[in-house]
Amino acid sequence: MRFVIIGNSAAGVNAAQELRNADKDSQITIVSSEKDMAYSRCLISRFLDGRLKPDGLYFKTRNFYHNYNLKPLLGIPALSLDRSAKEVILASGERLAYDKLLLAVGAGPIRPKVPGLELSGIFNFYSLDDTRRIIKYVKDKNVKEAVVVGAGFVGLEAAYALSKAGIKVTVVERCAQILPAQFDHISSEIIREDLESLGLEIILDESLTSVNGESAVESVTIGEDTDIACSLVIFASGVRPNTLLANEAKLNTAKGIVVDELLKTNDPDIFAAGDCIEIEDAATGKRQPSATWFNAVLQGKFAAWNMLGQNKRYSGAIGIQNSVQFHRLAAISFGISQITDEDLDYEVISHYNKEKKVYKKLVLKDNLLRGMIFTGDILRAGFYAALIREKIDVRAYKHKLLEPDFSYAYFRKENFGQTGSYAATPSCWQSPSWFAERSLCMGIK
Amino acid sequence: MKKLYLRIERCSGCKRCELACMEEHRDIDADKPMTRIFVESINERPVPVVCRHCKDALCVSACMAGCMQKDANSGIVSNQGYLQKCVGCWMCIMACPYGVISPSDNGAMADNASFAQALKCDLCPKKDTPACVSACPNEVIELRDVQE
Repeated sequence: MRFVIIGNSAAGVNAAQELRNADKDSQITIVSSEKDMAYSRCLISRFLDGRLKPDGLYFKTRNFYHNYNLKPLLGIPALSLDRSAKEVILASGERLAYDKLLLAVGAGPIRPKVPGLELSGIFNFYSLDDTRRIIKYVKDKNVKEAVVVGAGFVGLEAAYALSKAGIKVTVVERCAQILPAQFDHISSEIIREDLESLGLEIILDESLTSVNGESAVESVTIGEDTDIACSLVIFASGVRPNTLLANEAKLNTAKGIVVDELLKTNDPDIFAAGDCIEIEDAATGKRQPSATWFNAVLQGKFAAWNMLGQNKRYSGAIGIQNSVQFHRLAAISFGISQITDEDLDYEVISHYNKEKKVYKKLVLKDNLLRGMIFTGDILRAGFYAALIREKIDVRAYKHKLLEPDFSYAYFRKENFGQTGSYAATPSCWQSPSWFAERSLCMGIK
Repeated sequence: MKKLYLRIERCSGCKRCELACMEEHRDIDADKPMTRIFVESINERPVPVVCRHCKDALCVSACMAGCMQKDANSGIVSNQGYLQKCVGCWMCIMACPYGVISPSDNGAMADNASFAQALKCDLCPKKDTPACVSACPNEVIELRDVQE
């Protein structure tokens, strides 16, 4: 068999690893337009602020390709697919034959169309190369002021990193809160305070009108006529699945590449995984692009298993699952966590300690947990996420859900597909006088 | 593969396992000792909760730094001792269904060049018997060799 994987990040690399684990002989080739060995996109801000060197971004070791007997073709973009010949046509002119192909081509940043985008000093913040260019520009031009467009994860990570490097940063966000896709108003305000304590400024409810300057950026205009002086602009206004390659090869695409439960496209020999596909979100029931590291890794693994013919269904994915810590405050959001007053079917249980900056919110419907936000205290967040993911009935525990002693112990018979770690409990343990008689119950004479 | 196994009716809730666990991991935790085994309670009955060192562990898939790995020989799932370093992104905390991974002191991340760490059971690699197993006076916790 000849396996070809286009994409060298979470989905592609994990797929390659799973393919090799199960199949020692087949040829596995990884193609990527980026020249770097597999690195974690989520960590580029920690490179920007100097806490990590590029080495620290590699999520596999330097010997990974060799150890797994993979053929890396890095820095060579795939231009098109010839589905009838079953070949990938590379920018080098090479035609790469495949028996099974995986598209793990990720997503790409999008920019609002405003005047001034041709000026120098404007960057995306998506790749390791973007980060290298920003670092060089900051150094060469001695950047003192920067504007970040978009207060999603990427924008705030960039803003935080630039602030740490001593640059005065202004973030412009068109929504009324930061992290609008992931967090509710209360939690976003707590996170905003934490960020602003570093000295960066966040402007909400305003859009970018233009970027201004002679040949390099000198300022931006927001709204009608507010100018902000800056010599660096970072666009972090969202990403879109890379569907061009699939589109031109007449594979089905919508918001992302369309795949079935086996992560197969409408061509039985072509699979797709990671940020380039759209998934049905188990929490909302809506089809939407999948754009989290965790989902991409799992999809890469499932795609590999199915390329090997193992028929493993990938379902129940939760689209929104984020953990974040920009400065001092940790926060996690999972599933449906933003409920409007019109959503009468939902029940919300929340707890907010303003002084300690701890805010927890659970969203329920039909006795099932559907979503959660934990801010300032993320202990056991994964346990709640599992209750959401596995659709476990919590009606017996409704009064306890946010109590400090609510834990996995109540569900110890639920093994989540793993080997159990509890022996059967003798009935004496349930007795009301258990503690008085416990030595007997423990079997101690 | 080595795993911890629990007989909860023997547990008196003394939390000596938690103390032994904190003591054993002082070098990683720095300022604030943290336990990786949790004596929870159900209706006033103590119930320890431990890491299962899962097969296809979700914390491993969730880790964006690549530091959370399952050792092919021992089966131990840990984010310590690898070339890739934990950066305190907490994806593993979000992924673990048992809720047995915790963040180290948050302040450390903001004030230093180093990162806060996700703390979890490593089955005490420096010891033959994990600290919690040795510390338990009632033989609640047992280290078993099981097939995965």
